[in-house]
Amino acid sequence: MARELVAIIKHDCPVCVALLPALDAAAVDGSPLRIVSQSDGDDTAALWERLHLGAPVEIDEELELSARFDPDAVPTLLLLEGGEERGRVEGLARDRLTELAAEAGVALHLDGLPAHRPGCASRTRDPRIAAALAVRAARAQGRLRSRSLVIGAHEDPHEALFERGLTDGLPVVPPTPERVVAMLEGTHRGSQEVVGVVPPYGGTATVEKVAVNAVMAGCRPEHLPFVLAAVDAACEERFSMHGLLATTHPAGPLVVASGPLTERVGMNARGNCLGQGNRANLAIGRSLQLVVRNLGGGRPQLEDRSAHGQPGKVGACFAELQEGSPWEPLSADRGFDADETTVTLYAAEAPRLILDQIARDPEGLCASLALGLQSVAHPKQLLIWDALLVIGPEHGRILREAGWDRARTREELMRRTTSRVGDVLRGAGGSPEGLDPAVFGGNPDGAVPKFAGPERIGLVHAGGGAGLFSMVYGMWASGEIGSTPVTRRVEPWT
Amino acid sequence: MDLTHGGGLELLDPTAERESGDRPLAAPVDGTAGLRIALLDIRKPRGDVFLDELERLLSDRGFLVERTAKPTFTRPAPADLRREIAERCDALVEALAD
Amino acid sequence: MSCGLHDVVSFEGLGRPAVLVASSVFRDVAAAEARNLGQPAIRRVFVPHPIQDRTDDEMREMAAAVAGEVLAALTS
Repeated sequence: MARELVAIIKHDCPVCVALLPALDAAAVDGSPLRIVSQSDGDDTAALWERLHLGAPVEIDEELELSARFDPDAVPTLLLLEGGEERGRVEGLARDRLTELAAEAGVALHLDGLPAHRPGCASRTRDPRIAAALAVRAARAQGRLRSRSLVIGAHEDPHEALFERGLTDGLPVVPPTPERVVAMLEGTHRGSQEVVGVVPPYGGTATVEKVAVNAVMAGCRPEHLPFVLAAVDAACEERFSMHGLLATTHPAGPLVVASGPLTERVGMNARGNCLGQGNRANLAIGRSLQLVVRNLGGGRPQLEDRSAHGQPGKVGACFAELQEGSPWEPLSADRGFDADETTVTLYAAEAPRLILDQIARDPEGLCASLALGLQSVAHPKQLLIWDALLVIGPEHGRILREAGWDRARTREELMRRTTSRVGDVLRGAGGSPEGLDPAVFGGNPDGAVPKFAGPERIGLVHAGGGAGLFSMVYGMWASGEIGSTPVTRRVEPWT
Repeated sequence: MDLTHGGGLELLDPTAERESGDRPLAAPVDGTAGLRIALLDIRKPRGDVFLDELERLLSDRGFLVERTAKPTFTRPAPADLRREIAERCDALVEALAD
Repeated sequence: MSCGLHDVVSFEGLGRPAVLVASSVFRDVAAAEARNLGQPAIRRVFVPHPIQDRTDDEMREMAAAVAGEVLAALTS
């Protein structure tokens, strides 16, 4: 098999320049030594002239050969046999270079050169070039299949994306192929795997498409596993994303994350966790909304018929605070292992405050929480609305010190949100809303619960350490006629 | 390497890239009596009153009317229900969306 | 309305002419969704908005007013 030596150099590397005269001398006619330059034709020609070199030199167009062998440094000497690599020396290591060249029958005379010099970074290590090469490789491997949108040189990319209807009204990060390839590093899943089919028009959410939207939302690659799990959950039939989008009700998807990975990716479970400032929370929540818009085709006032909407429809995502929680992790409550990281999707309104700055025992606290829960949707509308209670740490401490787990807490809240039928019928208290007497009017002194069952009251611990506050999210219609919360495991990127 | 795409910026399309070619409607039915028409109630309030009257009017004109209802207006009708109705009936009216 | 439109598209796909009756407030979005679903000519009939606070008699009058249009949609 024919043996070949390939020397990769670049014009602005002093070590390459020092080595070139010896390479030039060895690259005589018929020699198996090829000199390949990473620099462009003009720079290479100027160098050859300056050093009075006569050997032929190849320009590594598009850095194809460099990308194939992927050296960290130049100069690099490769020994090839039948085109396959049999050995290499990166940088100037005088003795090893001489030995390697000898294996191809080439005598390199390196006397007078230093024994060791590390060389310079290969051009393929320039971050911008490395990113472009990664895109080229991804396309060649079929990992990047989205069609291109080319924004003209005189267009502002932010305005261009807005005009194409691809944003939520705020600027997005332009999804260049380089950014999408980098985002795909956040998952080990194949980029063409289908995560879900997104209503209302049934667009296919591949991992790649989700990654494009995650870039736009402002995610980092480590956030991607959360976005993938959220999209998967939202597309699950019993979550009823189509109905949730199309309803006049203000609810939208809320992502609640639980587990050890939440901290690793920088999610906020503490102060202001439902508000602004935390990139992970905001970007993960926003990614889901961009997926609904761009892959599902759901847009406000068209497919999305919400009468008012609410801020959470730009994106709503927070993490559970396990430290100091009265309860086991939400993952466990939802049927997963306590140490797994999951996301749970709820069809939620905007959160409301339940304040209690006086209660010091769990019964008293639950009495206040129950009053807040009673008002979900309408105080006299019962059984079809679920709720998610976000217990702040100062409230949570009361439950924790009393040893109340979720079951005990739910039991108390169910009892305290049970009403006398007569008080919640249509017309009671002067309000025409309420229970239909045709269905419930039989016994006005009978009892009727607010919630269809204890598990319909979601419970999660989160928030800042100071403040005797909890928050309640009312839900869209629940169960068979509406949406059921869905939980998915988050698969880590390593 | 030209990293500038000729001065423009290349982005990837975040949409599903669906090109929906228009599909034709099903063939209309002829309006002679004897036709079986399904009235599918989406179960929003007041729709039943509307459909009761529509049923009466269509029956008076000699059509066979079948009344069914979706489990909920909040989702598309289940596939089984759609198939059953399509098997038994010649045409469908779905009402009343508000 | 959106779920109803999807149903009507499905029935058409099963070979049965189908018509959606909806409140007039959905005229534009029904047209947009129908186009996006690849069936811009989807059969639809509109009744005046609002619906929720109509009396039974008013609902019956509404049905009588559109019965002809509904039949025409299915037979043409």
